[in-house]
Amino acid sequence: MATKVNRATAVGETSASRLSPELLLGLYRMMVKCRMCDEKARILFRQGKYAGNFYSNVGQEAGEVGAAYSLRDDDWVAPSHRDWTSNIIKRAPLKYCFAQLYGKADSPDRGKSTPAHMGYPELHVITPASTIAAQLMIGTGVAWGLRRQGKDSVVVSFCGDGATSIGWFHEALNFAGVHQLPMIYVVQNNLWAESVPLRLQTALKNLSDRAKGHGIAGVSVDGNDILDVYEAATAAIARARNGEGPTVLECKTYRWYGHSEIDPAKYRMKEEVEEWKRKDPIPRFEKYLAEHKLLDDEQKKQVRDEITREIDEAVEFAEKSPYPAPEEALEHVWA
Amino acid sequence: MARTITFIDAINEALHQEMERDDRVCILGEDLGMGGGVFKATAGLYQKFGEERVLDSPLAEGIIIGAAIGASLVGFRPVPEIQFADFIGDAVDPILQQAAKLRYRSAGGFTCPITIRVCWGGGTGGGLYHSQENTVWFAHEPGIRVLVPSTPYDAKGMLIAAIRDENPVLFFEHKKLYRTAKGEVPEDLYTVPLDKASVRRPGRDMTVLTYGYMTSLVMNAAEEMSKRGVEAEVVDLRSLAPLDRETIVESARKTSRCLIVHEDTKTLGIGAELVAILNEEAFDYLDAPVMRLTGPDIPPVPFSPPLEKFFMVDEQKILAGMEKLAAY
Repeated sequence: MATKVNRATAVGETSASRLSPELLLGLYRMMVKCRMCDEKARILFRQGKYAGNFYSNVGQEAGEVGAAYSLRDDDWVAPSHRDWTSNIIKRAPLKYCFAQLYGKADSPDRGKSTPAHMGYPELHVITPASTIAAQLMIGTGVAWGLRRQGKDSVVVSFCGDGATSIGWFHEALNFAGVHQLPMIYVVQNNLWAESVPLRLQTALKNLSDRAKGHGIAGVSVDGNDILDVYEAATAAIARARNGEGPTVLECKTYRWYGHSEIDPAKYRMKEEVEEWKRKDPIPRFEKYLAEHKLLDDEQKKQVRDEITREIDEAVEFAEKSPYPAPEEALEHVWA
Repeated sequence: MARTITFIDAINEALHQEMERDDRVCILGEDLGMGGGVFKATAGLYQKFGEERVLDSPLAEGIIIGAAIGASLVGFRPVPEIQFADFIGDAVDPILQQAAKLRYRSAGGFTCPITIRVCWGGGTGGGLYHSQENTVWFAHEPGIRVLVPSTPYDAKGMLIAAIRDENPVLFFEHKKLYRTAKGEVPEDLYTVPLDKASVRRPGRDMTVLTYGYMTSLVMNAAEEMSKRGVEAEVVDLRSLAPLDRETIVESARKTSRCLIVHEDTKTLGIGAELVAILNEEAFDYLDAPVMRLTGPDIPPVPFSPPLEKFFMVDEQKILAGMEKLAAY
């Protein structure tokens, strides 16, 4: 039986009014951190500081932070190419995240994977491939294993709207449904799969409806409203921990920039981009926090100043970190 | 104590014993639980170990491998099954892009100790989609072992070694061997090294490089050639990735003549790589060009009995190939 989570009933437990000021400010600070790190990554790429490419998550921070902020160290994340910041949210040290961009020896994969394809084994962030939706199957396998070990850890996977078209997305959801696995499939529906608009991707209006075909829970939220996402994610995570099965969580959002840094995204109308920039999740949350007397201009500046210092240190570390020795290319092929 | 059992019994016994020894070992795939597998390779496992460890999967090869990879990341030793090699297409990304590369792309942060059992091969009237060999699709990819046992002894020992190995493994079981190959197999657990070819028969006049079902045909042909005064050395490759270059080259240097025999189609089959290795490392020792005897370059394997017979390498074709090489 497909179930649509009734948000009206879920609000009671996790509504914003019951969230502590520390948590609300924590969510805020993490969104700003992700935004600033991502923008810094883009600038560094444009300055020619590192090779390859970068897949910006700017505009989608509410979905990213809302879904992963409260995960425990023993919970897993299965990111895609657009989820470099999920490592930051999982509390990977910033210096290693920037070393990853540079392909330096201090990156978690010692320069093996491309800048945005970052994992962090110690915190159970699975190093992603570029092939779309593969991470969902691996994450589902992790969830199967965790469940069989009797653990209450969960797996949050990230993908975009395009990934919901490919067979492996459905194989993963189907398997998770059969075994009621502790999976949260976060679909960052940013309306564009590289240059293909959603109308050519699917006839569905809500991508959470994908869940119905697999008999699992599905919910669509305003992906630019951090509290909306956080509330739905918290409910999904709680159900997963309790053995109540997987959830597809669609975050309706927008990717501000191109598919990657070499994509000027001329296929999109300027008006559409501007409209979505007005729905920027960060000022929206700032307004909420200000209304609740939790944040003023001075505090906003303080948060940004602190993060700027952290980023400067991380970039300095990454730039000083050595490159791997060329012959390291031969290592890690075989166990 | 060793006794004579079939190839499939050796596989079944390896799974039973390794699952008893190590509760991290689990299997999943189509029809292998309650049904015991279409060839009964997994018979009795479901009854002994239950659904938690012997899982009938949905009909979806991608998630069979994807779930196995994920479970391996949290400490399991999954042994997923692809029912027929012909059906492996949906799982190619999980195998090549995920399992084979996960260790590399994370610099050893994640490892993927899964053993994928795959049933392959022609000669049983299976037709175009129950007969294929696609070992070289995977042998081309660094980071995943491709094993092709030819005897019951190797089937058991190599399967146990594969499950214990930290690398992802593709374990190809030739369906023709399941019930026709019989041999002495110890009752106890044992392992066979995974990266060593086996010299099945020593000889001074020529080397025949082969594997899988072809090995027994080559052995028979070698005995016949012995009566005709030609002593062939038969090298059973056992592993197509990595290849045991040392044993291959050493044998070629000794005999100075090489014939490669495989069931797979010719173009870019493993024989092409073997020729290249011999060219690089044994050229000065050779008295004849390296010859290849393989399936023809047509879709394997057409169904009608005369068509299948045309496709398959058999003992007569091997004898003719050996005569040709000896006469060069």
